[in-house]
Amino acid sequence: MLKGHLDAIVLAALEAGPAHGYAIIEAIKRNSTNTFDLAEGTVYPALHRLEAAGLLSSAWMTPPGGRRRRLYSLTKAGSTALSDRRKAWGRFSQAVDALLGGGHAWPA
Amino acid sequence: MAGVIEQYVTTLRRGLDFDPVLADRLAEEVESHLRDVAEADPAWPSPDAEQRAVARFGLAREIAAQFAADAIDRQARRTWIMLAATVAVTFIAMRFRVMWLDDLDTAISTLAPLIDRYAFIAALSVGIVGWLAFRRSLMPLAICLGGLAASIAAGLARAGLFVDGAPLHVLLAAAGEVGLIALLSWHVFGLHRRLRRMASLRRAL
Repeated sequence: MLKGHLDAIVLAALEAGPAHGYAIIEAIKRNSTNTFDLAEGTVYPALHRLEAAGLLSSAWMTPPGGRRRRLYSLTKAGSTALSDRRKAWGRFSQAVDALLGGGHAWPA
Repeated sequence: MAGVIEQYVTTLRRGLDFDPVLADRLAEEVESHLRDVAEADPAWPSPDAEQRAVARFGLAREIAAQFAADAIDRQARRTWIMLAATVAVTFIAMRFRVMWLDDLDTAISTLAPLIDRYAFIAALSVGIVGWLAFRRSLMPLAICLGGLAASIAAGLARAGLFVDGAPLHVLLAAAGEVGLIALLSWHVFGLHRRLRRMASLRRAL
């Protein structure tokens, strides 16, 4: 189930600013209060796919005295795509909530 | 002896050998990631810390297979676009040749025009069916490539063997179709490599 939403989750993790792969995975874990503890390697195909689609851009960066890392950032198209996916998710989750009884026990 | 992280990166790089640029970039990215994780482990520096970092990352062949699946989709899309361009240019070149040969009222063999026409029609038909139903398959693309190559070869033989002094537009169209068929062959070969790598990665999982 998570796999179908991984691209949107990665886009959302980059909304706060540019980050490298490891930091993105940590942000996903932190923001989902450890609910989404992915195999870390699964994020990289998503990052490359989103970059190929023009939703992310990336560049190598070497901090002083640190290791060279590839930093990913949202592009303008990526921000628009994230906003679209949020709206679609809102509609979808509302519909599922309605079907499953919202905050009530289901079946009611 | 290579460390756990080096061995992992080598396996990943081997799984991505269908795209050397991607393999180099990802190897460096993943190595950096794994070293960050290993260095944050309380047992660092030790092979156990590296082993845990690698275990958290997932199987190298599985990661490579995900990249291969994405690469197949992209390569298939590019190859179908190239096929459409080749069909269009081949059709234009055929029309130019036919108009020019008719003008000359040249006696030509019966076989070359038949191959020129029907190999093209067969390639076009297989291409349409392949596009509608088998976009990620190699077979319809390979058949189209063969049909177009036969059509182009017959067309060039038809024009080149029987008359000299072809007009510029006929020569340019012929050069275009030959160039495009070479590019299409390269794309089909690239798709074949990615599909073969994907199959071997899946077998190994």
